[in-house]
Amino acid sequence: MTEEDEAAFDEFLAARSTALLRTAILVCGASPHDAEDLVQGALEKVYRHWPRIRRDNPEAYARRVVVNAAITKARRRRVIQEITFASPPDTPVESPDPGLRDLLLAELGKLPARMRAVLVLRYWEDMSEAETAASLGCSVGTVKSQAARGLARIRTRLGTLEGASA
Amino acid sequence: MNVDVNVEDTLKEAMASRVAGVQAPPSMGQRIRRRNRRQVVRFRTAGAALLTAAVAGAIPVYLASTAAPAAAPVGTPAIGTSEPAGDDRAISGNVVPNVVGVTNEGVREILETAGFVVGWKKVVTEGQQPGTIIAQQPVGGTVAPEGSTVEVTIATAPAPTSAPSAVPAGDNPLQDLGDLGDGRTFGGVHLDYLPDGLEWGKWSGKDGFGKTSFTTTWVEPSLASTGQYSVQAVVFKGKAARDRRGYAKGAPVKIHGKRGYIGSLTEGGDVAASTPETTLTLVWFPRDDFAVEIMLSPAFVQKLGDDAANAEIKKIAEGVVVES
Repeated sequence: MTEEDEAAFDEFLAARSTALLRTAILVCGASPHDAEDLVQGALEKVYRHWPRIRRDNPEAYARRVVVNAAITKARRRRVIQEITFASPPDTPVESPDPGLRDLLLAELGKLPARMRAVLVLRYWEDMSEAETAASLGCSVGTVKSQAARGLARIRTRLGTLEGASA
Repeated sequence: MNVDVNVEDTLKEAMASRVAGVQAPPSMGQRIRRRNRRQVVRFRTAGAALLTAAVAGAIPVYLASTAAPAAAPVGTPAIGTSEPAGDDRAISGNVVPNVVGVTNEGVREILETAGFVVGWKKVVTEGQQPGTIIAQQPVGGTVAPEGSTVEVTIATAPAPTSAPSAVPAGDNPLQDLGDLGDGRTFGGVHLDYLPDGLEWGKWSGKDGFGKTSFTTTWVEPSLASTGQYSVQAVVFKGKAARDRRGYAKGAPVKIHGKRGYIGSLTEGGDVAASTPETTLTLVWFPRDDFAVEIMLSPAFVQKLGDDAANAEIKKIAEGVVVES
């Protein structure tokens, strides 16, 4: 690892670590603290291979490692408890309907880890279906069907709630 | 609420609000490098450190100064120490929970829940609550294959009476394999040949290199009190042997017609030039489910010289008789 490699890695972290951490939190539903540990572990792998991958889209590589780790973590958590997306103490983003937002996050938390990862990459990371497929190591068809099914489940559950409260 | 809202957009907004306050800490790079440093300090060094502690258990005065590095091989950020690993392993497996600080009663459940097997190591230390985990390998947060062994190091109080002659004690927790006599027969192998002037290190370990693995060392008597080993042998059986095959590196050699590899390995397990930081290692596979690894300590290699060390390690390997 040359000094230039090290400097480039620092630049990479400055540019991407927050986004990766946010993605990890959304995929695994862990607290920021736990997710930070997970992302650190994943980025350690990136660091280990850095001289080789730095010129070959390190961001995609890093995201793949982080998302895979987050999916694994989510599956583990699932055994113990249903994933909860606790509301953070302050939520700077204005929302017309905080209740709906929480509900959506709760429903998102109930989806299978991989399906949730598809929705996070597609709608939070704004990735294309092809990019999402590459990140998750699955086919574009799987991304399409998982995204459609995930959204449909959320819609159905919201609809059920709507029906119950109406 | 209105269910006709665009679920995609609302979801996106909900996700944004969930993580809007989250920022990666500026210290992340430093912590990744520290973690990397710990990651590459593999059992090779841990083994030597444990050995140091084992001997130090008999000489408590010495122990206080030597056990500390064993418990905390972490230190300086590892800038420049990482070798670009040549293998690009697929990232699959589970995240290893961090169990440092947990008591030994709780650790099994935590690790087994996470899908790992627990490998135990005891280190005699002072200043640590006996029974707590003071180190683990792999470290928490890393991803390791499900079912693999997470080795935890338990702090153990020094024995109340510790005359220097107390080693080997039959029930010494560090003597996983008991009193091995001259140490040449253990784990299903017998070593016919060892370099002159070495005696058994009165130390052995079980399952530290994966389930069903056995290890012991031989030392120069004059250096025994320093914990400096000269030769270490590891026997891998079953899954441990198959796993060992997965990271065998070095130049190909044949031992009685069986494939093996020899090389000077760094702490990270990569092949490098022979230096005081590398360990001369020869691993071969007498059978599919059986591997034997011989290591010569860097100090011993320096003492012998590279050529002699290479000849000796091969001679040791050729002299290993494997149980049928």
